[in-house]
Amino acid sequence: MSDPAGAAVVVEGVSKRFGRVPALTDVSLAVGSREAIVISGRSGSGKSTLLALIGGLEQPDAGRVLIDGEPIWTRRHPAHVRRDVVGFVFQRHLLLDPLTAQANVEVPLLGAGLRPAERRRRARSLLEQVGLADRAEHLPSQLSGGERQRVAVARAIANEPRLLLADEPTGALDSVTSERVLDLLFDLRDRLGTTLIVVSYDLAIGPRADRTITLIDGQIVEEGA
Amino acid sequence: MMILTNLRRRPSRTAFTAAGIAVGVATIVALLSFTQGLSNTAAELTHLGGSDLGVFQANVSDPTTSLLPASLVARLQRKPYVQDATPLLLMVEAVRPQPGAVVFGAQPSGFFARRLVIVDGRRELGAGDILLGDRLAAHMHLAPGGTLTVHGRPFRVAGIYHTGIFFEDSGAVMALASARRLTGRPAEETNIVVNLSAATSAAEATKSIEREFPGTQVISTPQQALRAGANSTLISKAILVIVVIALIVGAIGVTITMALSFIERQSELGLLSTVGWSSGRIAALILGEGIAVSLLGAAFGLLLGVVGGDLLVRVLGVGSYVTPSFTAWALGRGLLVGVAIGVLGGIYPAWRVTRMKPLKALSGT
Repeated sequence: MSDPAGAAVVVEGVSKRFGRVPALTDVSLAVGSREAIVISGRSGSGKSTLLALIGGLEQPDAGRVLIDGEPIWTRRHPAHVRRDVVGFVFQRHLLLDPLTAQANVEVPLLGAGLRPAERRRRARSLLEQVGLADRAEHLPSQLSGGERQRVAVARAIANEPRLLLADEPTGALDSVTSERVLDLLFDLRDRLGTTLIVVSYDLAIGPRADRTITLIDGQIVEEGA
Repeated sequence: MMILTNLRRRPSRTAFTAAGIAVGVATIVALLSFTQGLSNTAAELTHLGGSDLGVFQANVSDPTTSLLPASLVARLQRKPYVQDATPLLLMVEAVRPQPGAVVFGAQPSGFFARRLVIVDGRRELGAGDILLGDRLAAHMHLAPGGTLTVHGRPFRVAGIYHTGIFFEDSGAVMALASARRLTGRPAEETNIVVNLSAATSAAEATKSIEREFPGTQVISTPQQALRAGANSTLISKAILVIVVIALIVGAIGVTITMALSFIERQSELGLLSTVGWSSGRIAALILGEGIAVSLLGAAFGLLLGVVGGDLLVRVLGVGSYVTPSFTAWALGRGLLVGVAIGVLGGIYPAWRVTRMKPLKALSGT
């Protein structure tokens, strides 16, 4: 999407350095509502940093990021953006070990003003959506790698985000499990109308997305369908 | 939900942290109970023999070391505001198996001795006789006709008395003349207990006596009794210092534990931030864990302080001097200190959380 007007996500001239090392340099990007894009590039190209900036996990040194037309670092604390607008899936599932699958899915819902019964009901429903209703009371240590990542996906969509950000979501999975997780992410995009941005070095994901953006040394060098 | 879960998932750390706090709180509770016990003991010292006040030598480190001239009693008795006055000679650590027992040398005709309620044996005190308080008699398994050794001299137990005053019931009474011979102080007494005439207040009498009899101090309230003893003041100050040290050491311990926990759990805390928990909310979680573990420790500490304090007094055999008194305020202060340790210990890690960068925390670095 080249026209930023009406875009779900707009990245305007964003730069970011970590110490003396430039991670991103003057990057601009617009992602439409319900669009699914893949950001690819080698390790260290800045793709995870770009995702972190879009999700409000990092603040840009220059430029700005807008979600639904509003800059995320000026309107409210980005924690609220992460709670209300964005869902994250990472390469590592980052589930909380002592909590069951269901309790992990409930974590983002704590403080959302829901009654415990409603919170449990919603978490159970999310686990059903990712095909893990029968694993609700299992601890992460009792789940396979693919199951843990699906729980992480359920957690990411718990607050019904308009934007789903996935950073190497299949990086730690075998090929069969990777396919299932990708099926799930793109299926959720289709069913829930979520905007999906996936960071991956795996070029095989490209055909699933509406667009692929390639980063090299912190700059967008290629953008194509 | 998260606070209790997090504490349960690290049972050893939770137990050790709580144990550290428990020891601190127990120490504080025990010391406060001893302070209160000292105050209670002082209160009983104030009203020995049911008197309104006691006259002691001024500026002594301990009221029991006071010395007054024997002539003072007659001069006091002549004052219009004094209804009755009788001298006492106190002997401490005079009964070897019960070092806490105080032996009172009293005039048999004075109101102190007359007020004793004899529950066994007879009241009359001959030169070699002694009366035992019922608590002391029970402790030493003595009855009328038995023998009690005081300062190495045997005395025949003439009777057993009860007054209802712990200090007196845990001690013994002999004739003042016998006590003077035993201590080698033929013309001195430790203090004079005074009953005031009906129209006189203790405060008025205190002013009059201290003005008219220089070198004396009057004790009519427990607070005055505590102030009169430099030793009690010293103990009170020492207890204050120990309470503050316990607070500081406890807070440092909890801070270190919580800081280590924070470092270990950076990924987890970063995740909470990622899913939309605000810094304040995560800091509240950390602080809440600190307070919860402190409450746990404080609860055990209260129990330990009560049981341990009582046990200590029994083992040391000092029940006649001080009996731990566990007031609601002492227990409340122990609990407050426990919670304060949790709050102080959780502040630094909680502050670190508010400065945490989620992406960095997620990587666990």
